Amino acid sequence: MNAPSFIQGLEGSAIGEWMRTSLLAMPWVNALHVLCVTLVFGSILVVDLRLLGLLDRTRTVTRVAQEMLHWTWVAFAGAVITGVLYFAANATTYWFNTAFRFKLLAILLAGLNMAVFQLITWRGVAGWDRDSPTPRAARLAGALSILIWTTAIVLGRIIGFTKGYDVPVPDDMDFDFG
Amino acid sequence: MGLLEFATWLQSTSLSVTIQSIGWVVPLLQSVHILGIGVVFVSVLMTALRVLGRVRMEQSLAEVWHRFAPFLWWGLAVMALTGVLLTISEPVREFMTLSFRLKLLLLVVGLASAVLFGRRVGRAAGAGAGANQVPAGMRIAAIATVVLWLAIIFLGRAIAYDDVIWGEWSPAVLAGADAT
Repeated sequence: MNAPSFIQGLEGSAIGEWMRTSLLAMPWVNALHVLCVTLVFGSILVVDLRLLGLLDRTRTVTRVAQEMLHWTWVAFAGAVITGVLYFAANATTYWFNTAFRFKLLAILLAGLNMAVFQLITWRGVAGWDRDSPTPRAARLAGALSILIWTTAIVLGRIIGFTKGYDVPVPDDMDFDFG
Repeated sequence: MGLLEFATWLQSTSLSVTIQSIGWVVPLLQSVHILGIGVVFVSVLMTALRVLGRVRMEQSLAEVWHRFAPFLWWGLAVMALTGVLLTISEPVREFMTLSFRLKLLLLVVGLASAVLFGRRVGRAAGAGAGANQVPAGMRIAAIATVVLWLAIIFLGRAIAYDDVIWGEWSPAVLAGADAT
């Protein structure tokens, strides 16, 4: 079975070619991806812990969220860009990788969790902004967020141990994902 | 016993062999290590931003430090544990990279600066004076600390690409050159 044409196109593109042949592209993109993922998890964790009513209880939920979430969004954008670059190097292989597919699913679920929280629970935030314990829906959103992002990170790391080795790389390059 | 001999011996120990032989252990340890640096780096970043007057200005420096310090110390403890186990699983590959050696060096600096910062904040809070007044030196140190941890994160990932990044400065490349 072949990957969809746009996936094949991405792999065959100049970007995919650059990722495979440039010696320094892969290490830098890899390091930046880890850095961005790190920031996404760490920054959203601060918000999640406030939603759970465990920390920063003297601060309003909106204040904590405002302060942290722009870091989360910038880091997420960075993670997507570096992730697409990384994916382009070997797109047709990653496309069929189970861990990769589950990771995308996890990110989708994280987005869904956030959308439900934003569109429903957040509407009434003025009523519980200073509260702790927070409403059950807010606690659930916080707990799910921690769980889903942790899963996404574990799956991301598993990808490197499953497939992705069969990329044409220069002989002198240590292409070890571990 | 040289470093390479020590690493080779460590790699042959039963703990190392056990970690290597169970396929899911290394990815799991690495995942926890990444979650740990997420907690540590954001704790450093938020404390540094408070020093620079960018966040949590309604809280004193000591309050912000007490909010994030437990995450910093526990995060570092988790990273140390997973990091040591990961190193035991493949000590030759780790020790023979410049990235790993530089990372450990910077880690010592990072730990020392966190301890010193904590003490200083503790003293300032004890004196009760000027909790919101931050000397210029501390601002520079805050920026330097964030850069330091960025370098530590980069070096951690660079271990896998040591020869590509450092070329002939990589100990493994040097050792290979000696062998031939």
